[in-house]
Amino acid sequence: MAVETITDGGILYGLIAVGAGLATGLAGIGAGVGEQGIGAAVVGVVAEEPGFLGKGLFLMLLPETLIIFGLAVSLILMFAWTPFLV
Amino acid sequence: MLRPVKMSRVVVAGSKDIIEPVIEKLHEIRLLHIVNFDGSEPGFDLGKPIGKAKEYSEDLIKLRSMSRYLNIKVKAPEKTYPESQVQSEMDNLLNSVSSNVIASYERIAEIVTEIKLKQDQIKGIKPLAVLPLQLEAYYGYDSLAVFVGTATSAVDADVAKVSSVNEVYSAGTKAGTVVAVFVPIEKASEVSSVLAEHGFSEISVPRIEGSVDSAMAALEAGIKNLENEKAPLQKKLADTKKQYENLILATDEYLSIETQKTEAPLRFAETTNAFVIDGWVPSDQFNRLKSDLESAAGGKVDVQLIDEKEAEHLVERGEDVPTKIENASISRPYELITRLFAIPEYKEFDPTLLVFIFFPIMFGMILGDMGYGITILVVLLALKRKFRTPGWQQLINLVILASIWSVIFGFLFGEIFGPLGLWGPIFGNLPEASIIKLEEEGMFFGEGVYGSLGRVGPLECFPLYRLATNAVLLLIGVSLYIGVIHTGLGSILGIKTELNYGEKKHAYFERLPVLLFQVSFALLLLALVVANWNLVLAGIAVIVISLVMMVIGPEGVMGATHVPFYVSNLISYLRLLAIGLASIGLAFAANQLAFYVIMPMLSGGATNSAEFTTVAIVVGIIVLVLVHFINLLLGILSPFMHPLRLHYVEMFTKFYSAHGGGVEYSPFGHVRRYLKV
Repeated sequence: MAVETITDGGILYGLIAVGAGLATGLAGIGAGVGEQGIGAAVVGVVAEEPGFLGKGLFLMLLPETLIIFGLAVSLILMFAWTPFLV
Repeated sequence: MLRPVKMSRVVVAGSKDIIEPVIEKLHEIRLLHIVNFDGSEPGFDLGKPIGKAKEYSEDLIKLRSMSRYLNIKVKAPEKTYPESQVQSEMDNLLNSVSSNVIASYERIAEIVTEIKLKQDQIKGIKPLAVLPLQLEAYYGYDSLAVFVGTATSAVDADVAKVSSVNEVYSAGTKAGTVVAVFVPIEKASEVSSVLAEHGFSEISVPRIEGSVDSAMAALEAGIKNLENEKAPLQKKLADTKKQYENLILATDEYLSIETQKTEAPLRFAETTNAFVIDGWVPSDQFNRLKSDLESAAGGKVDVQLIDEKEAEHLVERGEDVPTKIENASISRPYELITRLFAIPEYKEFDPTLLVFIFFPIMFGMILGDMGYGITILVVLLALKRKFRTPGWQQLINLVILASIWSVIFGFLFGEIFGPLGLWGPIFGNLPEASIIKLEEEGMFFGEGVYGSLGRVGPLECFPLYRLATNAVLLLIGVSLYIGVIHTGLGSILGIKTELNYGEKKHAYFERLPVLLFQVSFALLLLALVVANWNLVLAGIAVIVISLVMMVIGPEGVMGATHVPFYVSNLISYLRLLAIGLASIGLAFAANQLAFYVIMPMLSGGATNSAEFTTVAIVVGIIVLVLVHFINLLLGILSPFMHPLRLHYVEMFTKFYSAHGGGVEYSPFGHVRRYLKV
């Protein structure tokens, strides 16, 4: 009985879901930490020099890709792998 | 359209007696981007202002201070004036009107200070009302030190300890004990430290006479009088503003134009009898410039076109060629996005056309909802009538086009206020049995149909339900390939830009390998998915070739270290799918919450929509509207920011601004807004 439960596809699916959540969530935290410093600096510069807005935005949006990596991993886990498991 | 307008370098020279008609004409035709003379050429001096330059700039300062007092801001013109009217009314405006305004404004400022002073005095004496002393008893002693203030506890006993001669008045109030302590002046410092132990905080007593109550009444009456004086003055200023606002704006414009004209020679080179103007003009306008100037000066001016080789030489010595970006009126709003980043240099590309093509499609693909798209469109069309300044109009036109695309994508995705929102009731759904059959076959792309047309497209995938597994996989692929096309176009422009600058090595060994790498990387992924091993090998081969090219390139091995960046560029495009999923998730949750949780729950667990109570339906709809509203606000912001990033980071870095921002073409002249042309 116990052996059957461990090999159950349901648990595997659950673990995949947890993994997917962690991938997006942790990547999100990483992107947030990266962006907070840049964001503060950009707001400071734009207050002094409004013409810097475009370049500031560019710098601020750079770490955003991090979360997309996490999300890509999640999507692959959730959608691309599960069909093979069942 | 992708390139800035072609410019030519010209030199205008003539004798000084025709300088005024030449400046007048240059100002009128607004063609010449003047290159300021830096005084470095031997034999030439900087020019001097002509005519009444000093007078005009003084008048302008006077006028601007008046408009600051009247709080006049630049706004869309309501009325235009002919120059002659401005000239005839200027005297009155700058003298009698201006001095009236200044007098009223200064009096108001005085009144405000006086009122503030009186209010402070009232605040000072108010606590003293509880003590039995007249106000003049608090000041004017030579041999006595006076402490007036509030304390946290009774002070008389401790004061008596340090100074046997004393007079202490105190009374308790809600805010604490109010005390007035009179001691000989030589005991002042000791008493002060004793008082400090009791949490003493001083009140400064104003030098007024009489009882506290009568003094307060007098002060309040004074404030009232001042307020009565202030109100009509403020009304007078408001009336003056109403009467003269448009005229002041027109006069400001007139004086600015005159100042600009009279001070123009400061930018020219001069000798004793002649002047020389350097500048750039759009090449196709040169003949017009030449003939206009010659007719204005009666043929006594020489307008010379400098040949390209010599112009190139000037550019090498540090002269900037001004960039005039020109786009069709429909794509012009997207210049906003280009300008926010940088003005392209003369030899670079103006990416506005590409932004115009890709930005709205990306916005639409992310938002992709007919309900939201139409709502944004209606709101923007209403705002368009309200906000008439060019900046707002540009932004609004930009988003209008984007929201049209989101309606189109909403139609492809089968979404009206969320997936399975209003689509089913309007256009219909597949029967339950065929949905289950499709799911079992792994061919489920959504349950919506286009009315009697049913489902359409390859694999019958439209309307595409974006939360279905198959749809997510399909959209991952589509997003990546949009990325390949987008960055690929960027790389191609990058190669051409480098060639324009004559940097062949940069073009073929820095930009080209990136293009090869990204295209073959995407092909490799596709080949892996369809398991075509020949294509896989070809992809790997091209990737290796591009890596070798990067290593040969100007940056050497360092060039190849950018490879992770190029991969992440492509993965970054997954946000086109991802941000959309987030917004669908919220819309889906709103619909579920209202129709499957709140409405049944509040109706006592009803399972059929016919049994819902009125209260349940009302509450459900409020929640529905609220959540959709929040989602819509987010749905404007993130589909705007993320494509912006895809342009700035993923595309522009491939070709744009590698050489520093350009100088925008700003011809000598002035656009008349408040003056009749």
